[in-house]
Amino acid sequence: MEKKLNCFEARQEFRAFWRRELTPEQRTTLVAHMAECLKCDRAFRDFALSAPALHSAEEPPRRSPADRPAMRDAHSQRPPAVVRSRFAPRRGLAMSAAAMVLVAASLAAYFSVTAPIDSLNDELSAEPAATQLFGSDLNISSEDLAG
Amino acid sequence: MLGLAASRKTAWRLAVRTDEELIAEILNGETATFSELATRHRPRVERLCQRFFSDAETARDLAQEAFIRAYTALATYRREMPFGAWLRAIVTNLCYDELRRRRRRPEELVADFTAPEVQWMNLVNEATPEEIVAAAEERREAHDLANRLLDTLRAEDRTVLILKDSEELNVSEIAEIMGWSEAKVKIRAFRARQALRKQSEAMKSAVRRGRR
Repeated sequence: MEKKLNCFEARQEFRAFWRRELTPEQRTTLVAHMAECLKCDRAFRDFALSAPALHSAEEPPRRSPADRPAMRDAHSQRPPAVVRSRFAPRRGLAMSAAAMVLVAASLAAYFSVTAPIDSLNDELSAEPAATQLFGSDLNISSEDLAG
Repeated sequence: MLGLAASRKTAWRLAVRTDEELIAEILNGETATFSELATRHRPRVERLCQRFFSDAETARDLAQEAFIRAYTALATYRREMPFGAWLRAIVTNLCYDELRRRRRRPEELVADFTAPEVQWMNLVNEATPEEIVAAAEERREAHDLANRLLDTLRAEDRTVLILKDSEELNVSEIAEIMGWSEAKVKIRAFRARQALRKQSEAMKSAVRRGRR
């Protein structure tokens, strides 16, 4: 009688299936399970997209130079905006420009509201703010305020 | 004739002497023996580096660097752990650091597929599982696309996925190599799979949109 797999067991065997380490019977059982189970079938197809990098023993050789022009053509047909190498530096440049503008604006704001103070003594001997604004003639007594 | 006999003898010596014996010899001053040790482990080390970096030259450079580190740290090697596992920890940490150094942020998957890549994805969507496995062996684009997919992961996630899926290590072994808690390894493995699934879906829908 043919052994049936549950989904957990089936997914555990994906790796061995990819590496061709299953016996013919095990392979048949797994394939039969995937034919019946839509979720495992989909999981295997997802697995297959990353498996060449994670599970293959050896990589196929790089393309020969003769094949390269076709690849280059395919790349040149892409819209330039989505090509990674062109896009990334521009983003970096924009970020640095934005940072520089921000720093310049912060410095300008800081120096526009902060008066330079030469020393602590100068600061302590400075006239009160009201005198600085309205002059020393402004002398308000408590009687004036009262009446 | 003599040369054949000598090479057979060398092969026999390589096959018979254990890693520990070779290491003892190196530590006793026979430094040339390290090349025997390196020859024995080089294929595995290079393959592991290739899981991290698809570029063959980078993988070879990292493998070389790993052997240099192993040589300089050989005095700290303890017999409780097999040499292969000790070396794997060195390689993994080296590749992980390099991955982090190169990319502070994971790359975004750029939906600009070449015609062979689109063909491969269509095959993955439509062919039988056995046809997919058979086709993947010869197709360079399958590897390129898989590497691009892995490039979208964070360095931690990619490392955990490689150690768990390719090297078939368990959570505690990964935690020991990386110096992380087991909880962190579990979380990273979960997030890696989740991210991979999301990116696979994005890739498939980009191809479907292109077909319309």
